[in-house]
Amino acid sequence: MLKWNAREFTVATVLAILWLGLAVFAPDFFSPQPLLSRLTSSAPKLLVACGIALVILTRNIDISVGSLYAVASVAAGHASHVAPTPVVIVAVAIVTGLGGGVINGFLVATLRLPSIVVTLATMVTWRESLRLGQQGVFINLPDNTQWFSLSMVGGQWAIVLAALGVLTVLAWAQKNLAAGRHLHAVGSDPEAARLAGISPGRATFAAFGLCGTLTGLAAALNIAQSPQIDPNTGRLLELEAVAAAVVAGFAVSGGRGRLLTLLPATLLLVSISPALTYLGAKPYWDKAVHGAIILTAVMADGLRRPKRQCRSQAT
Amino acid sequence: MTSALLQLVGIKKTFGAVTALNGVSFDLRPGEVHALLGGNGAGKSTLIKVITGAHPSDAGTMAVGGHPIARLTPAMARSLGIACIYQQPALFPDLTVTENIGLRLESTSPFRRVRHRERRRLAASLLRQVGAGFSGETGVHDLSMPQQQLVEIACAIGAGAKILIMDEPTASLTQPEQELLFGVVDHLRRNGSGIIYISHRLEEIFRIADRVTVLRDGESVVTRDLTRTGSAEGTAIGQGFDEADLIHWMVGRHLERTSVAIPAAGAPDRLTVHGLGCEISGVHDITFAVRAGEIVGLTGLVGAGRTELARILFGLTPADTGEIRLDGIPVTISSPEEAIALGIGYLPEDRRRHGIILDLSVAQNISMSVHTRLFPGGWLRPDAEQTLAEHYIHRLGIKTAGTSAEVATLSGGNQQKVAMARWLAANPRVLILDEPTQGVDVGAKSEIHRHIRSLVDQGLAVLLISSELPEILALSHRIGVMRSGTLTALFEGHPSAAQLMRAALGNLEPGDPPC
Amino acid sequence: MPSSSAPFIGKLSRFRFRHEVGLMLLLAIELIVFGFFGRRFLTADNGINIIRHSVEIGMLALVMLPVILTGGIDLSVGSLLGLCAVLFGKLWRDVGVDWPMAAVGSIVVGLIGGAMNAFLITRLRLPPLIVTLSTYSLFRGLAEAITQGTDAFTGFPESFLFIGTGAWGGLPAQAGLLLACTVGIAMLIHQTTWGRAIRAIGFSAEGAEYAGLPVQRRVASAYCLAGAIAGLAALTYTARFGTAKADAGTGYELAAITAVVLGGASIFGGRGSVAGTVLGVAVLGVLGNGLTRLPATLSTASELTGIVTGLLLLASLALPRLAAMADPSGTVRTEKQERP
Repeated sequence: MLKWNAREFTVATVLAILWLGLAVFAPDFFSPQPLLSRLTSSAPKLLVACGIALVILTRNIDISVGSLYAVASVAAGHASHVAPTPVVIVAVAIVTGLGGGVINGFLVATLRLPSIVVTLATMVTWRESLRLGQQGVFINLPDNTQWFSLSMVGGQWAIVLAALGVLTVLAWAQKNLAAGRHLHAVGSDPEAARLAGISPGRATFAAFGLCGTLTGLAAALNIAQSPQIDPNTGRLLELEAVAAAVVAGFAVSGGRGRLLTLLPATLLLVSISPALTYLGAKPYWDKAVHGAIILTAVMADGLRRPKRQCRSQAT
Repeated sequence: MTSALLQLVGIKKTFGAVTALNGVSFDLRPGEVHALLGGNGAGKSTLIKVITGAHPSDAGTMAVGGHPIARLTPAMARSLGIACIYQQPALFPDLTVTENIGLRLESTSPFRRVRHRERRRLAASLLRQVGAGFSGETGVHDLSMPQQQLVEIACAIGAGAKILIMDEPTASLTQPEQELLFGVVDHLRRNGSGIIYISHRLEEIFRIADRVTVLRDGESVVTRDLTRTGSAEGTAIGQGFDEADLIHWMVGRHLERTSVAIPAAGAPDRLTVHGLGCEISGVHDITFAVRAGEIVGLTGLVGAGRTELARILFGLTPADTGEIRLDGIPVTISSPEEAIALGIGYLPEDRRRHGIILDLSVAQNISMSVHTRLFPGGWLRPDAEQTLAEHYIHRLGIKTAGTSAEVATLSGGNQQKVAMARWLAANPRVLILDEPTQGVDVGAKSEIHRHIRSLVDQGLAVLLISSELPEILALSHRIGVMRSGTLTALFEGHPSAAQLMRAALGNLEPGDPPC
Repeated sequence: MPSSSAPFIGKLSRFRFRHEVGLMLLLAIELIVFGFFGRRFLTADNGINIIRHSVEIGMLALVMLPVILTGGIDLSVGSLLGLCAVLFGKLWRDVGVDWPMAAVGSIVVGLIGGAMNAFLITRLRLPPLIVTLSTYSLFRGLAEAITQGTDAFTGFPESFLFIGTGAWGGLPAQAGLLLACTVGIAMLIHQTTWGRAIRAIGFSAEGAEYAGLPVQRRVASAYCLAGAIAGLAALTYTARFGTAKADAGTGYELAAITAVVLGGASIFGGRGSVAGTVLGVAVLGVLGNGLTRLPATLSTASELTGIVTGLLLLASLALPRLAAMADPSGTVRTEKQERP
């Protein structure tokens, strides 16, 4: 029973137009194997976007996910040398991510520090710790871990389906689990939430914890795709994820947005760079285009919002 | 007589130097609507907060359903079935009505599946009970204020509230919406709930209340029964009292107008307002003038549009219709900056949020609206600022540790004097004072009154907004009364408090001047 | 509740006193430790070196301060520095403008970038965080697009490089610019009505509006100033390295915010001083340099600097909050919870 609200419709329409254009001008884009590869490499981004979207739902932000993603990848890489099974790699990545999320959650929800500064600080701390510990050295993974010991196509399908599965479960929980509605309530009006018996602190903490966990899982899905781990991985991931969330209609003022919309939003964003390439633009425009997309999305929200309503919250 | 749902005896509550409740006794029986009546500042809000557990009382006893309650917390109040419908509903704007109801009524355990179908059914049935004309799938941010109130009432009913407090529920309702609400209230009453009903509309009290208690100056003055037998359809009659008596009890006996010097006839009009209106703030068709050296009092009930009028004149919500003239010259005012440049000052109602900046020093607050004059070229001149601050500290008798003390360290009355000093320093032609003595103690109040009088002696035109009739009567040369966003009466002579109250309540009698 | 806020205010002012003293102590400890264990740390050359390396972050911190004083944040200054540096190089090499004119161009570009942030924040009323997060990406992306990712501008004339490498009577040339910025911003913030308004807005934007202060204009000017100074910092950065690349100033926004918060400014606005910010910059600058002088940390100095910077930022936020939470009589200012 998918109800198409305006935002889902807009995003899906833009995506359809983009894909149509690609189908006409760059039909290669849709040849099965590259397409599957592209979807596979987008799967981790989808999960990180889910994590950030949950945090944005509670009126906060987490820009440390890119660094945490790298830390989780490296931790899992080291673990793979101790116990070279996919299960261990996935578990270590998830636990590392959860740990990072819990630290952010403690600082933001318990100490009530502003999330932007907290996650800015954890972002640089993780990244630099990683540089210190790893000195930029790539980690080779044991042979049997790539594609989760499956064939390449099988592994790719596993990764895509895993990401879609997690998204589906989370979208279901967002709608059907009390906890999901509590996140909306807390982001919509923390004071009213308190009056209704919902603890804003606990909800915020949970959102950060989940965001970390999803980041860890995303790292696991990413390292399964290659024979080695780049300790510099995950740069700009936070921006891509914030862009996906904002495009998907998650309001930075909290309380609004549907996780399912992240699917077309992420597909749209990951189709843009190949589209630019296919259509002749150069890849170094990527970052500028990302910035412009976030800006366009928030400006659309800002212009649609009635002027008077926001008067008391100005500045 | 069945045992009382709620019994309060001798409740006292003070905030610092201000006594809000001074021995209030009140009881509520099952199946009755008990109206609570009183002017602004009579202590109604405080009493509600005591009943809902938001404020602990300082003295007195409280019993719910016959069981004495020692220390009531909001959570306890909820579990005892006490619910309050506030004028500003505490709903989640980004969620639907059904969701709001669900979040309020269902368990707060996070790992519980939301049963959407049951939730929708419950919400629909509750919305039907309160006669809401909108669906549960509507987003709350799309609802009007009265519609949001209905959602609140639906939540309270759903929670099985036995004691329901309605704080001016009809203040913003249209006639058909009111009728619906009365139906809801009647329904609740017949189910054995007790309703504490707060309203300024006397006709409503006679329409739905079974008893009425009048509060004045933090004390319960009288409690009387109303009876429906022998009265006209749909209304009750007071047992041994009528509307006039209620008004009398609300304003008290001792309030008569103290004489104020009438300004010399022919003093020029300073501020002239003609047909002024602003769609967003719900103010329309306002016409009046304030002469030089005159205080025009402006009274009315909360929500009548007085502060909104002041905000228009100060450029915070610029007018979209009508004309403003200053000393006969038409002006447009689209920001406070422009208003100040034109010589209009505004002492706002909410001192802590708007009137002063708590974290800045006394001197910095006082000089705030005269930056261009005091600091030519934009360079701060600490000595000049110091001198200015010392002047006003001395003139207004502000008690402070020094000019550099943060305003947060001052008492409420002294904070208000700092806020006033800012406008005196700005040397305006027209000064709008919005509840200038709200929350200040008696001593500071009379000082502030003295300063207001001395201002007009210097030729300033003052628009004095106040809900306190004694204040309005003691200071004003002329008194305007606002109701539902417009000026409904302008008294030139010496109105009585009862006349003003009647005008504010919309019960004008022949002999009261229309506007 | 005036009665309960009085001791709180007293405590706060004592805290602020301790804060700047605490920073000086921290600085002294750094100097002693590095002076004792570091190789050739306490030398005139190294002093100049520290100043040279701190100039850009110092300038950005000085203009981040008024932005934070209004209760906002600007994440885009580092990226804007990169964009300005690249455009400066482009103007000089490819357009063929004299370097002084290109320098003016760099500052103008910075001003335009800042004005763009200002427009989005004050006109469209968008949250500063999200606006500057997207321009953070946009400005850096434009710089990369202009240089096609790899192009670098080099071979600047000696007269220009002097700004970054020359000396004036024993002091590095760019120290003069930093000094001018410090004095200028200090006067603006502490001695003009502009600074007073900025502070008032940070404490209470509504209160400032009711006092007739031009709130939106003042906020806009803070972002514009930040942009223009980012354009100036791009010049000293380029002159110091002798090249203008798209990655110029990466991570500088974080260093600037850290210096400001470390310097005692409240991220919620209103509180903060130029003296504190300058001390914050000095603490970070000495730390970064000192770590390169210790034999044990020589090879890992830049990573350690990053880690310690992040941890210092967290500590400077969390410690006052923890102290306030531990003290039951203290009133924690929670009413101004951040809304990104």
